[in-house]
Amino acid sequence: MLQALREIEGGISLSLNVAARLPSLRKAPILESFLRQVYFTGVTASTGVVLRATMLGVLIIAVMMDMLDADVDLAVKILLLLVFREIGPLAAAVVVILRTGTAISAEMAVMRISGQTRALNYLGIDLYEYLVVPRVVGVMLATAALTLYIQILAVFGGLVLSPFIIEASFMELAGRLFDLFTPVDFVYSIIKSLLFGFAIAGVCCWHGLNPPDLTQNAVPKVVTRAVTQSAMLVLVINALFAYLVFGILFFGLVKANL
Amino acid sequence: MSAAALRYERKTSEHRVALSVAQGSASRVHLPDEKAKAHLVTAVLKARTEPEEELELFGVKTADLAPRERRRVRARVGAVSPVVGLINNLNTWENISLPAAYHRTTPLEKVAELAHEVIGAFGADADSMLVRVPDELSMLERKIAAFARLLVSAPELMIFDALEEGLSHSECKCTARFEAVYRAYQPAGTVIYVDTKEDS
Repeated sequence: MLQALREIEGGISLSLNVAARLPSLRKAPILESFLRQVYFTGVTASTGVVLRATMLGVLIIAVMMDMLDADVDLAVKILLLLVFREIGPLAAAVVVILRTGTAISAEMAVMRISGQTRALNYLGIDLYEYLVVPRVVGVMLATAALTLYIQILAVFGGLVLSPFIIEASFMELAGRLFDLFTPVDFVYSIIKSLLFGFAIAGVCCWHGLNPPDLTQNAVPKVVTRAVTQSAMLVLVINALFAYLVFGILFFGLVKANL
Repeated sequence: MSAAALRYERKTSEHRVALSVAQGSASRVHLPDEKAKAHLVTAVLKARTEPEEELELFGVKTADLAPRERRRVRARVGAVSPVVGLINNLNTWENISLPAAYHRTTPLEKVAELAHEVIGAFGADADSMLVRVPDELSMLERKIAAFARLLVSAPELMIFDALEEGLSHSECKCTARFEAVYRAYQPAGTVIYVDTKEDS
């Protein structure tokens, strides 16, 4: 209980510190660290998701039309709602947790254990400014970009490849897509993915900088805690966000009285 | 008689440590154990003491310092420790230039010049060393890089904490150069070598 309260307090404190130190991104070493983070989280991750994201779109359309006997209209609608609102941001969050979350938490824990953070302190370098701000902001932007990338790949992958599996033409599917698409879906998913990125980076930074002890054995513990908690937080944000924006929770099982 | 750059006292039930180091001098301090050494080095680097300690840096009692003054005093002190503290994911050049780039105090051209001079003074090839990351450096090279990083901020009090720890027999012969190089940049600076009685 005490540990949980400490972590909540730490998360709030970290968020406030990051917000207060955002202008420090103008400093050359911090900007460089931020660009590295965007490159690592966004650019290098993007190559690995091309095939998976494309197949996701095909799978959704194929399943909808074949198994649920849906028409083109319903299949595209579900593709749009599922990919844009839910699966796109969640898939990006999973990639970011597995690739970046683990790396950030392990790197920070090693820095803390090996005395690198102490050395930065003695050099008058603020840990939040140099270590946390570029990672949090970098991961937020990269998660949003990765979400958009996965959404585009999944939707257009679905539209391009589905005609090979089901009885519907690309033009037919694309036409329905543009009819049904609303900017709300886009804004919703981008804001949600920014929040996911913030949560993942914040949790991983906090655990990395606060290992249970200062031995090498603490590193795997830190990574496990950071990954588990950031995944849980992502699911909680996803559920809360869906409830706040659309008034539904758990795929419509809980509905708000708006 | 010159003023003291450092006055320190720590009384515990096990032992009493008291020392005074004159400004501009070079002194060797042998402390009873690792704990006592860590207390001294941490107190000086943080300009902050525990209840059982008393510390005076450059004639000022650190207990009376306001946060801004404390930061100023801390900026006048540097230490090369056995931990070294180079950032693993930055190469040697990025490590050395980090404080100058972060605080925007010294132009990077000057830092590059200093880095080449310092590394060269130890007989190492600066160009090849500056592009390597800490894991690719020997312990002596890491200490040289940490030393060069400190010299950029021109500390008036330099602590060499167990300087020979982790060095090979041949590398230990180079340790005298640290003080010589420091003196070249800070002729009036104070040097303290700290180790424990077990080390010495």
